[in-house]
Amino acid sequence: MTAEARVTVTADVNGVAVSEAVETRLTLAQFLRERLGLTGTKLSCEMQVCGVCSVLVDGEPVSACTYLAADVDGRRVETVEGLARGGALDPLQQSFVENFALQCGFCTPGFLMMATALLRRNPDPTEDDVKEYLDGNICRCTGYAPIVEAVLDAARRTKAADHG
Amino acid sequence: MPLPTFDLHRPRSVAEAIALIDEDCVPYGGGTELLMAMRMGLMRPTGLVDLKRIPELGGIELGDGVLAIGAGASHDQIARHDLVATHAALLATAEQLVGNARVRAQGTIGGNICFAEPRSDVATVLVALDAALVLRSASGQRSVPAADFFLGPYWTVREPGELLVSVTIPLPAPTGVYVKFQTVERPTVAVAAVHRPDGAVRVVVGAVGELPTAADYADLGAVDADDLAARVEPVSDLTGSERYKRHVTQVIVRRAIAQLAEAS
Repeated sequence: MTAEARVTVTADVNGVAVSEAVETRLTLAQFLRERLGLTGTKLSCEMQVCGVCSVLVDGEPVSACTYLAADVDGRRVETVEGLARGGALDPLQQSFVENFALQCGFCTPGFLMMATALLRRNPDPTEDDVKEYLDGNICRCTGYAPIVEAVLDAARRTKAADHG
Repeated sequence: MPLPTFDLHRPRSVAEAIALIDEDCVPYGGGTELLMAMRMGLMRPTGLVDLKRIPELGGIELGDGVLAIGAGASHDQIARHDLVATHAALLATAEQLVGNARVRAQGTIGGNICFAEPRSDVATVLVALDAALVLRSASGQRSVPAADFFLGPYWTVREPGELLVSVTIPLPAPTGVYVKFQTVERPTVAVAAVHRPDGAVRVVVGAVGELPTAADYADLGAVDADDLAARVEPVSDLTGSERYKRHVTQVIVRRAIAQLAEAS
């Protein structure tokens, strides 16, 4: 067992296998944005409070600003770039568009990833469930109501499609 | 701001981890507190000892009259674990209210306790539950009651060569309520009020001062919210003055007692 200031990170990022040598101090946000060019993940407060850097690691939501890239070695990372398939928006993204759940859009990738994590763990959330799960994400444009509605709407549509 | 450089150690066992840790080479769990402190220049360790690859630290199990929670268990794991819901429901309640969903997924109970942020939700509840913190070092193991573990803000009895391996809650655990007033990412005042197995009522006021304040009463009617509010030592900051926080303390203690009366 040797300690290293550089480590190799081999991970699945949005279904693509990547392998990179990184400094141990590199954050996941820097890794995604600067090394992989995935700039959909934003940075703002860098204190785990605002939520714009939310991504999923093995399905769990994390703040990429305060998470070591080294820690995704051997794991699966999902970012906003992985949501759309073959040019078609994911149902949650489509719901954000139709419910006017964004204006400037800066917070949107974070909200989408948190909502993705929520709907996987709880496909039929109440309004309170949505508010509670998203309360670590800040939006300064929408006033939140359209975002909550978009998530509930996406859940309803998915449910209807499943029973359709 | 970038993080300072450091070596990353990835031991596979508690023994390996203990052999590595010292004042400059520190335990690293979820990183929600440590990485922030490093970025702000408040801590500058030369090495991080990653505890996430040590299976022994992740478990939650019943044993010998206690519920034992591995120091590496995340807040979210604890909040959703059946054994915690069954035997120490109050801890599950508080864990569900820590930070935000990301902090709960990343952050560990051990990191939360050892970092000793004075506004920790977990610390307040662990004192109410008479929990003990099990510390292991090269020279052996000791178990410290939660009430004696914290010495001040960001300061505990843990020595640099000691690793927190588990949190144990004696069973049957007290049952009760956790009520807090919060306007930012950590509570202004947090109150845990419980019925103890011996019939007494314990009230713990956390977050408002540098250390949790605990008081035991013969029954619910004996709880004196004004007296408790007079005894805490509020830290004046952006979330309120000392006078304001004393007032909020008295209000939240009354609410907690009302909820506990309703629940029992």
